[in-house]
Amino acid sequence: MALCVGLVLLNLGQMSNAADDQRAREIVDRVARLFISKSSISEVEMQITNENWQRNILMRIWSVGEENILVRIISPPEDAGTAVLKVGSNSWYYLPKTKRTIQMPASMTMTSWMGSHFTLDDLVKQSHLASDYFITTSFEGTRNGVAVNEYTLTPKPATVVVWGKIVLEVRQADHMPTWQRYYNEDGKPIRELTFSEYTTVKRRLIPTRLIMRPLDKAGEQTALIYKNISFDVPISEEIFSLNNLKR
Amino acid sequence: MSGRILGLAWRNLWRNPRRTLIAMSAIGFGYAMLLFVACLMAGLRQQMIETGTSLVLSDIEVHAPGYYPKRSIHQTLGGRQGTNVGTLLAAIAADPRIDAASPRVYAYGLVSATTQSAGAEILGVVPNQEQKVTVLQTRIVKGSYLTERMPKGILIGDRFATTIGVGLGSEIIVLTEAADGSMGNDLYTVVGIFHTGLDAIDRGLVLMSLASLQELLRLPPVRIHEVGIKLHNITEATTVAAALGAQLGKTLPVRVRAWPELVPELADYVQFNRGVTFILFVIFFMLVIIGIVNTMLMAVIERTRELGMLMAVGMRPVHVVSLILAEAVGLAAASLVLGGVIGAPLLWYLQVHGLNLGGVGDEVSLAGVVVGHHWYGQQDFSAYSQAALGLAVTALVSALYPALRAARFRPAEALRKV
Amino acid sequence: MTGVLLLVKIGWRNLWRNPRGTLLTALALGLGLTLLLISLGLLDGSHEQMISEGVRFGTGHVVIQAQGYQDTGSQDLLLPARVVSTTEEFLHTGAMKHVLRGVSPRLLASGLLSSAANADGVSIMGVIPQEERAVSLIPQRIVEGTYLNDDKQSGVVIGTDLARKLEVKIGAKVVLMTQAVQQPGTEATDAVGGGMQSTLLRVSGIFRTGIQAIDAHVIHLPLPVAQTLLGVPGRVTQVAVLLEREGDALMVATGLRKQLAGAPVEVLPWRESMPTLVQIFWLNSAFNYVMNGVVLAMVGLGILNTILMRVLERRYEFGLCTALGLRPLQLAVMIIGESLALTAISLALGLVLGLSVHYFFATHGLDMRWVFKSDLPAALVFDPIIYSRLSPSRIASSVGIVFLTATVISFYPALKAARTELPGALKVF
Repeated sequence: MALCVGLVLLNLGQMSNAADDQRAREIVDRVARLFISKSSISEVEMQITNENWQRNILMRIWSVGEENILVRIISPPEDAGTAVLKVGSNSWYYLPKTKRTIQMPASMTMTSWMGSHFTLDDLVKQSHLASDYFITTSFEGTRNGVAVNEYTLTPKPATVVVWGKIVLEVRQADHMPTWQRYYNEDGKPIRELTFSEYTTVKRRLIPTRLIMRPLDKAGEQTALIYKNISFDVPISEEIFSLNNLKR
Repeated sequence: MSGRILGLAWRNLWRNPRRTLIAMSAIGFGYAMLLFVACLMAGLRQQMIETGTSLVLSDIEVHAPGYYPKRSIHQTLGGRQGTNVGTLLAAIAADPRIDAASPRVYAYGLVSATTQSAGAEILGVVPNQEQKVTVLQTRIVKGSYLTERMPKGILIGDRFATTIGVGLGSEIIVLTEAADGSMGNDLYTVVGIFHTGLDAIDRGLVLMSLASLQELLRLPPVRIHEVGIKLHNITEATTVAAALGAQLGKTLPVRVRAWPELVPELADYVQFNRGVTFILFVIFFMLVIIGIVNTMLMAVIERTRELGMLMAVGMRPVHVVSLILAEAVGLAAASLVLGGVIGAPLLWYLQVHGLNLGGVGDEVSLAGVVVGHHWYGQQDFSAYSQAALGLAVTALVSALYPALRAARFRPAEALRKV
Repeated sequence: MTGVLLLVKIGWRNLWRNPRGTLLTALALGLGLTLLLISLGLLDGSHEQMISEGVRFGTGHVVIQAQGYQDTGSQDLLLPARVVSTTEEFLHTGAMKHVLRGVSPRLLASGLLSSAANADGVSIMGVIPQEERAVSLIPQRIVEGTYLNDDKQSGVVIGTDLARKLEVKIGAKVVLMTQAVQQPGTEATDAVGGGMQSTLLRVSGIFRTGIQAIDAHVIHLPLPVAQTLLGVPGRVTQVAVLLEREGDALMVATGLRKQLAGAPVEVLPWRESMPTLVQIFWLNSAFNYVMNGVVLAMVGLGILNTILMRVLERRYEFGLCTALGLRPLQLAVMIIGESLALTAISLALGLVLGLSVHYFFATHGLDMRWVFKSDLPAALVFDPIIYSRLSPSRIASSVGIVFLTATVISFYPALKAARTELPGALKVF
């Protein structure tokens, strides 16, 4: 998951044309790379609230690079043991109740991850399509007593994203992101990602609480809370195998 | 119109029996054929409608408002609290026009065998109740329909079986998002495979017991998505649906739909079919016009002397016109009777025995419906009477020209004609 | 024999002694032919149209695909490039050129289309706009925006149901994601081959066919874009061929099979590639037979009526002829001669009238909506306008049938008249 969020932010930080504010680019880039590392193991709690139900899922995530991810659900009890393995473009699910592993057909990759508000866009590798954004500083000053910069990112015509623009607010003091809003091409805000609970992990300052809210459905949101995260730890390749999936 | 003129008209017709009989036969046979086609078309429409609705849908369906088109599993009848299914079914069955009702639960999920998985529409039904409303059980090619004995049994289409590589007795997993957001999953056994001839169903529909699906979806027994209803007479569908909507709506927010709303393509085709029959009627009427104009004109010209004489002794032109018109209508009426007499046995035969057209290929599927080889007729009295009325009017209109010509005879000239 | 000629001449002049009566009868007969031609034309036309529409929503009258595609539908099965060029060359030459209506190479795959609001699974069709226009009906069912054109390379055309679900309008951005094609010989985990690819597109047109499965899932985009996305430059999945007449399908398929012998392809006429359509064809054929039969019978009866009446009423006249010395056989010949002449005039009239109406319906079509009740559902799957179609053989057989019927029927009274009793016939009253 860290990886995924990192990818979202990474897209923002790609280099655009030279006319942009160099400083702005650096800051946005740093924000994008907050969660990027060679490998990571994390314990994440995902709290999903939508109009029909509310769930808290605790999961452990191993990731190496951008290709291999293993997610194991620890709680709630009825889902404990469920695991998802993604290697390259193939994904498998292990279902403890029936003790079966099934391969997810590419066409069935659900648009929302486990019913959350994070979309497929956030999970699929996009590094080939270097998303180019124009970055401009749209605000510099104080909001709610905190000194912040606001950056407006507009995708270049060839960039493969559905958004019209993304607006990102960053704290001036430590360059931590506070929120990020996604707009469609008509300028309507579609969703908002907020960051909070900044913690230092291995000399990295990261927000450990991320909340994604769709802006057209009141009361719905998905919160990602990092209980625990370690970067660049050695992870053996065999973790990402079907056998391991079943344990 | 004076009785005398009518009497005279009728006698006139029979003064030249051969001509009258020829014309009568032509028009009468034509009418009989019209009846035949109308009957056949009506039967075909009926068959199509019944087949189109009886496989999976039903004549009428009851849902919570807003259920369509998204078909979210959360939109159950009676909202989140659900409703007393037994009471609801009883309330529906109270209408004498309703034959049977069946509760259903619906979801979309992933069905997976050992090697392959595919998405499918999952329908949860109560076997003995569902079989009173739909006829999918008659399309089983392997195994059997769902039974109470095997609650984890599942029924799949033959195409679907091929897609995921399973057969009778195979074990499959069904995976779907449950009502509480968790990943509902469980194992089921294939107890039957069906073949309807409709690609969408054979490739994408899976049936299991209502209780099992509710369990998979973590839905309590009081929550169902729809009630399927079968009527004694499907032609009443729209009326009954409206009445039911009003009735049930007093205690439960519902949206009741009759089959034309559920399968608009079928309703389209039915209309199209009616349109084609209508065109045939038009062609027939045109032929009738020709026939009658011809006949009456000849009759008038031939009787120039006689008509002249009648007018000479005081018959007014307007009566002459009435006379001719009456003859035409008399001719039409006689033809209708003849046609009816010829046609009746045909119609009876069509309805009881039908037409057996052993043709190419197996079933036929049109507008989402499978039609068999055996076509049964269906009495369509409204079409019959429309044809009869049309005929009478056509006769009247066709006779106008000859009648007006007759009226313009000048007695002196007419009398001199040989 | 001068006798016969004279009789025929007399017969002819007999006709014109009562010009109005003759013309009326001729008109009556002629109209019979006219009605026959009109109804045949409309029935044949609607039948051909039904097939045509059916195949145009699918794979055309004939389709060329990689062997095995019909069974598996796997998007990894592609046509070798030379097959496409051979096919196109063949179809544009000599005999084939005249029966051809359009050839469209297509790349097919499935994927996910996302907008800012939503995402859905789609059936991708990479096409060459010009060529696809000649084959598919989707370009003609555009309700908003325009179909693809060769200069707007990033356009995509989607159905109304899909547009509604994705909440997009013309010009909106959408992202298409799909799995690149597995090329034989490459690893499944290759970076490009087998990996997920995406591309940005803008909605250039929205169509409505009335068929839910199509309106909710089918999208058209430019072939080169699809080829790049799937990592298969220059390749296609199938070549769909549309012909002028359904009847040529088999011939064209056979010809193509010969041309492409040896290549790992399957050439399928529509009856094999779209078996469901065969059933509709059969059903409609059966309908038409019934209809044709009924109309024919009705027209036949009309002819019977007209002729019998005309001929049977002239006993007096025939009696006179006999009294004046005409022998029975000669009388019969005269009557038959008259009949033939009358029939000839009627046929001419009927043909002219019938063909004119047919021509009108062939160019303007008959709008069935006149026939329908007022509340027609908005999206009618069937094209409500029927175009009349008459093949020369149909015309010939119609004329033939009317002629034969009229002539045969007139034999009876001719023979009867020839044996007319003199005293009885000469009675005036």
